[in-house]
Order: sequence, then C-alpha cells, then structure tokens
Amino acid sequence: MIAGKTWREVRVMALAYLVILELLCVPVLLLWPEIYGDLQRSTLLRNLGIDWLKKIGEGVGSRDQDIAYLNWCAVMLFFRSTNLVGTAAAVLFGTGLFARERENQTFEFLLSRPVARGRILWQKFWPCAVCLTVPIFLVNASAILWSRCIDLDLPKYELFLASTHAAVFALLFLAATMWVSILLRTQAHVAAAIGAVAIVQIGVYLTQRLRPYSLFHLADFEWYGPILAGNIPAWQMFDPVRGPGFTTWLLLATGLLYWLAHRALRRAEL
Amino acid sequence: MTAPPLHVAGLQKAFGARVVLRDLSLTVARGELLGLVGPNGAGKSTLLRTLVGLLPRDGGTVEVGGRDPRTHSLAIRQDTCYLPGETGVYLQLTGQQFLDFALGFYPRLDMARRDQLLAAFALPLQQKVRSYSAGMKQKLALVATLSPDVGLYLLDEPDRALDASVRLFLRDVLRGMRRAGKTMVLSSHHLGEVETLADRLEFLFDGAFVPAAELASARARLRSRPRVRLREGAALPAGAREVQREPDGTLVVETGGDPMAWLRAVPDGLIESAEIGIPRLEDLYALLYTSRTGDRS
Repeated sequence: MIAGKTWREVRVMALAYLVILELLCVPVLLLWPEIYGDLQRSTLLRNLGIDWLKKIGEGVGSRDQDIAYLNWCAVMLFFRSTNLVGTAAAVLFGTGLFARERENQTFEFLLSRPVARGRILWQKFWPCAVCLTVPIFLVNASAILWSRCIDLDLPKYELFLASTHAAVFALLFLAATMWVSILLRTQAHVAAAIGAVAIVQIGVYLTQRLRPYSLFHLADFEWYGPILAGNIPAWQMFDPVRGPGFTTWLLLATGLLYWLAHRALRRAEL
Repeated sequence: MTAPPLHVAGLQKAFGARVVLRDLSLTVARGELLGLVGPNGAGKSTLLRTLVGLLPRDGGTVEVGGRDPRTHSLAIRQDTCYLPGETGVYLQLTGQQFLDFALGFYPRLDMARRDQLLAAFALPLQQKVRSYSAGMKQKLALVATLSPDVGLYLLDEPDRALDASVRLFLRDVLRGMRRAGKTMVLSSHHLGEVETLADRLEFLFDGAFVPAAELASARARLRSRPRVRLREGAALPAGAREVQREPDGTLVVETGGDPMAWLRAVPDGLIESAEIGIPRLEDLYALLYTSRTGDRS
C-alpha cells in the first residue's frame, strides 16, 4: 500500500526524468559525425591546462572513431546525463519522502498505522529506486539503437555494466536524501542540504588537486570510458580489494545511508 | 486473567527541560470510555501518543493490552486505532483512495460501521481530499479510524471542526461502539460531549491528573453554587453573591450554605428558574483551572 502510494507520487516525475534523459541522449548521438569532425580539427580541449578536460579531449578526439565514440558516450551519457540529471532526480524523489509527510501533517498518521517503520522505509525507497534506475538502463539501451542510425555500435554488455554503476551512483544520492528527509522537517531544507553537499562535491571535483576526494571522481569519464572500452571488467568494478571496486564502495555507502535512514526513522519523534 | 486494555503507572515524559507528563497512573477497563479533559498543553496528546508508542516515555510503566509500547509498538497498533489530534489526510489522494490506503492496514473491518459513517457523512469520495473542507477532512479521518475492528480506540479530539449535528451523530456511534464492548479513550475540548459520553473523566492539568479528593471537593463546591435566572429588573436576593454572569443573563451564585435552603427563603417572583446540584463539566473545569492557575478571567 505504501509502495503503491509512493509509486503514484513519483510516476509523473519518473516519466519526466526518462524523457529528459532521452532528450539529452538523442541529439548528442545523432550529431556525433559532425561533432567528431569538429573535434578532429580542434585542439582546444587537448591543449587545456586542466588535466581531466585534457583527458576528455584526447579521448573523444581519438583517431580511432570507434574508441572516440565510446569515450563520447562515456562523457555524454554517463558523466553528464546520469551524473547530473540522475543526482537531481534522486534529490527530487527523496526530498518529499518523509519531509512532505511532516509538512502535510500526515507523518503521525503514517507512523500510527500498524506497520513497522522499517517496512515504511523500504516501501517508500524501492519504488523511488526503480523509478530512478530503470530510466538509466532504458535510455542507455536506446543509445544502442540511435547509434545504429549513424552506423556505429555500442557494446551491450559494457553499456550494461556502466549503466549499473551509474544506477548505483544515483541510488547513493537517493539514500542520502531519504535519510536527510527523515532528519529535517521541510522539503526546502532537505533540498538545500543535499544540494549544498552536491555543489561542494562538484566544486571539489573541479579543483585539480582535490579531485580524488570528490564523490564524482567515483563516476567520472576516467571510470566510464574504460568500462565502455572493455578495459575494466566487472570484477574490477565490484572487487574492492584487487580492483578499484568503485561500484561496491558506492553500494556499501548506499547501504550505510539506508541504515542511517532506518535508524533515524526508528527514533523519529513527531 | 486477561490484562486490562490500558494500564499506566508512574508515567513520565519530558521534552528537554519541559516536563509534560508527571507521574500519571491510570487503568481503563474493557468496554470503558474514558474522557480526557484538560487545557491546551496539559499533555493529553502526548499521553495518547505515548500509549500508542509514537513517543518514548522517560519513566513509569505503560501496558496496552498487557504489552509495552516500547517493545511491542507494532502489536499494539495492530489492535488499536489512533486518531491524531492534527487531521492527517493525504491531500493528493481522492477520499476513496485515502480510505483504501488507511483501511488496508487492518485485517478486520466493521463494514456496518464504515457504511453507517459513510452514509451519514456523505463525503464526495471521488474528489481529491485537497478540495475538502476542514470538517470533511475530519470526517474522512474518523471513517478511517473507527472502521477497523480493533479492541482499543484512542481518539484525540474526534469532534474537532465538526458541526453540532455531526457531533450528535458521532456521539451515537461512540455509544454504540461502547455497547459492543470497545474500549475508548477520548480527549476533547467540547466538554459537554465528553460529559455525556464518558464512563469516567480524568482531568489533566500541567501533565498530572487531578486527584480524586480535589475533584470531589470541587464538585461539592459546585453543588453549593446554583444557577439562577432572575426576573427582569429583580436584584439578587440576600444570602448569595454573584460568582459569574453568563451571556444569556444566567447567574452562578455562591450561597455559602445549603442552596436549597437559600432558594426556599427567596421571596416569590424574584427568580424565574434555578438549577441546583447538577455540576456542569464546564463549571468544574473552570473551577479547577482557576484554583490551579489563579486565572479568574
């Protein structure tokens, strides 16, 4: 019942999120041939003093068009779309989960129903998680079809792996937002708190020497590019001991935030 | 022997430095309707929230159906319906969707009671709750609270925002539930409603129940205060002093001794009507409130 109500609340937002992701995806893929020509002629990105922009420039300007296209997709589909739009959607879905109940004075009603608080949390979380992650897989799967329009191929398995990582990254923000939504009393405060964290993280990412300390370092071009190129196999994504295991770290962080949310809801007073 | 539906001993609760419940003790028997009366901020809502496990207590014992809300909150909520003091209804749902949602948590519903409430309230269930008036939202919350077939009902101001005719109907519904053996705790600011409904009243002032002796003394004092309506132009006869003048002109007077003796001694034609020995809850409430706060306004 709670899951059904949550689904009803987020389904329109989820549809809008899917459409936005798709709208961001289609033109950059279909315009790739012209963009690739421009990139071949331009040396701007490659000559920049900022190392990560330089790497992107080198990646998308590679003489091998297949490699360049994979890097382009890593930048546009993942580094840009799912990182930014996915994070924004996670904040949007998560903000209202509990803070809106408080604002509308339904929090007491909800908690007084004969249902465990852990179950309330789960039934609010999973519909949002589905709405957040399924569009990532759908849009990235559609990229395979759009790529065929320009006579290029995207590797299905590698795309699936990268989408999985992107989905976990978005889930991290959803869990964080849900936790803060229990702690704070208004949606505006929740959005401001999580927005501030995201902005600081982006700021850290854009600061050259601090970049490794940013969350976005775990989901940037240097991570997605090699995954799409098949240079980071699945075990390296998930093995935190032998590989970088970034996906597992993100999953563990998501689990920790979910546990914090569970603890906060168990202790929540009206 | 089965445990009473509600047993509280030495209950204490504070929010920071502010003590809200002080050493409360209470037992409610099966099929009893307990009325909770007290001014705003006396601790009525906090008490009800503590009983259902929504707020943790700081001290004392609470047992609802023999179970401690601290450890068995879910089991208690499965056999208890709680109506919060703040009407919590989802504005984005239709009335029907809200009822489906709210009642879906309970395995057993009293369909006859639900139908009775819905027929009487005539709510536009296909409309969004957003379009409902405050009274309609309260009616919807009442249907959601009174329809489940549970043993204990904790109702925080169930008559809030309801007009007089609906309050009378609700009184009949609650009486019927009591006859069916349901246990209820009811807090209300409509003192007349509580008085006519409740088997027993508890006065809560500043987080503590008024002791029975103080209550008995207040009742006795009220019995010596008849209400009289004087004939037009007549002055208050000797032997009594005016305590209070009500908007309709009725006087509450203090006679000192036996009010019947004073009334018999009043010359014919001075008093139009009199009411003796029936302490009204409003008067009792006002007397207790005045004696505790010193507020004589």
